[in-house]
Amino acid sequence: MNKTIKALILPLIILIIWAILTTYTGIIPSYLIPSPSAVWVAFENLLLNGSLITDTLSTLTRVLLGFIIAALVAIPLGILLGWSKNANDLSKYIIGVLRPIPPIAWIPFAILWFGVGLGSAIFIIFLGSVFPILINTADGVKRTDKIYTESAYTLGASEFQTLKKVVVPAALPNIITGLKVGIGIGLMCTVAAEMIGSSNGLGYLILTATSMLDSASAIVGMLAIGVIGLGFDYLFRRAEMKINW
Amino acid sequence: MSFILKNVDKSFISQGKELEVVKNINISVQDGEFLSLVGPSGCGKTTILRMLAGLDYPSEGEISENGEPVTGPSPNRGFVFQQYSLFPWRTVLDNIAFGPEVRGVDTEDRYQNARNYIEMVGLSGFENSHPHELSGGMKQRVAIARALANDPLSLLMDEPFAALDVMTRHKLQEELVRIWQEEHKTIIFVTHNVDEAVFLADRVVVLSKSPGEIIESFQIELERIRDRTSPEFIDLKKNITSLLEK
Repeated sequence: MNKTIKALILPLIILIIWAILTTYTGIIPSYLIPSPSAVWVAFENLLLNGSLITDTLSTLTRVLLGFIIAALVAIPLGILLGWSKNANDLSKYIIGVLRPIPPIAWIPFAILWFGVGLGSAIFIIFLGSVFPILINTADGVKRTDKIYTESAYTLGASEFQTLKKVVVPAALPNIITGLKVGIGIGLMCTVAAEMIGSSNGLGYLILTATSMLDSASAIVGMLAIGVIGLGFDYLFRRAEMKINW
Repeated sequence: MSFILKNVDKSFISQGKELEVVKNINISVQDGEFLSLVGPSGCGKTTILRMLAGLDYPSEGEISENGEPVTGPSPNRGFVFQQYSLFPWRTVLDNIAFGPEVRGVDTEDRYQNARNYIEMVGLSGFENSHPHELSGGMKQRVAIARALANDPLSLLMDEPFAALDVMTRHKLQEELVRIWQEEHKTIIFVTHNVDEAVFLADRVVVLSKSPGEIIESFQIELERIRDRTSPEFIDLKKNITSLLEK
């Protein structure tokens, strides 16, 4: 059986059960969970008035900007931490303490530092993405088999050349895993990010729909975030498959 | 390239205890010599080779190459590891061209050079393969080619054929002798296989059980490629083996 079809069986069953419990029997009242048809109607409305497209695009922009900045900071820093025992020892507690702080807790500072709007949103997403990329990169660098670095040295490579030509390629699978997890967490931060002064975006859509008790539209926003995540996951899996060694 | 090891001791600290690995090693290796170090596993022969390469340092004593102390790894001393050490993300060609690449040799020249060594080790047609597509014997041929393509003055080899089947091992031993005759490099070859040492080397240095000390050294004058069935060969093997079994 085709893998895609196989993967669709379970969602379809859930959809049917959902429809039976809401539309057809009314076991679950619509104020707890809206029916699939109500979600569909909300989806059509949001699509036709164009807000779903704009919200998706603006969320994508924020997530990508936050994610790219996170990658630009976390990959070099991760390489440094993985390579230099001193850098690792010096920063151990700083990273250990900063990492568990939920990005949402940074909102007051985000507003103070970046004002209300795009800058703050990007900062929150950055905070969500940066640690998984950092930790995975450092881990990949640390785990590089000594035999590869020793081979490079005996072949005359300098420390910098060894890092660039041996350690980074060896750590690449871990770096990609970090990026995959990082963008996922970045997406999870969109609602928090768009709480601050945004007037569009999927997080904003969910927040406003919730405040107007329009749970069907909120579900549309949630699913849109989910689908974006699925798309990124697919892209990163393709990248992982390209590493054929 | 010549090497001198003078009163070399090496010990590691393991779980708070000092562990002596090799003791009082004195060896002098002449330029162009093919020397083999044999000994039981754990006798520290790999440690001696790693110290020669500059990957480890003696606790006591001195190691010098051409009169200069060894202070770290150098492209003058090519190393072939026992485990597979090829860069898995690079093709055969790019693995072999690695040394010249980091030295700044331009692409065309280093690929031409790499192709010559691919031919020398009999792997033409595999230029663009990745290491995972090669058998164990092929991987070690590439590793030897990678070390040679860097044009080192000496080759330090740590049981490079240990993981191979007998047929492949014998074939690669013959090829190594042929390469050594063509390239006039100093080779120091570590092995626990007496047959291999007697087949390859000008001189076999026998080490004792841990901590490794030199028991005896045998000069081997037999004509190459050596005949494993000749009485002299068999006698030498017997003598060395009986020393190791003591």
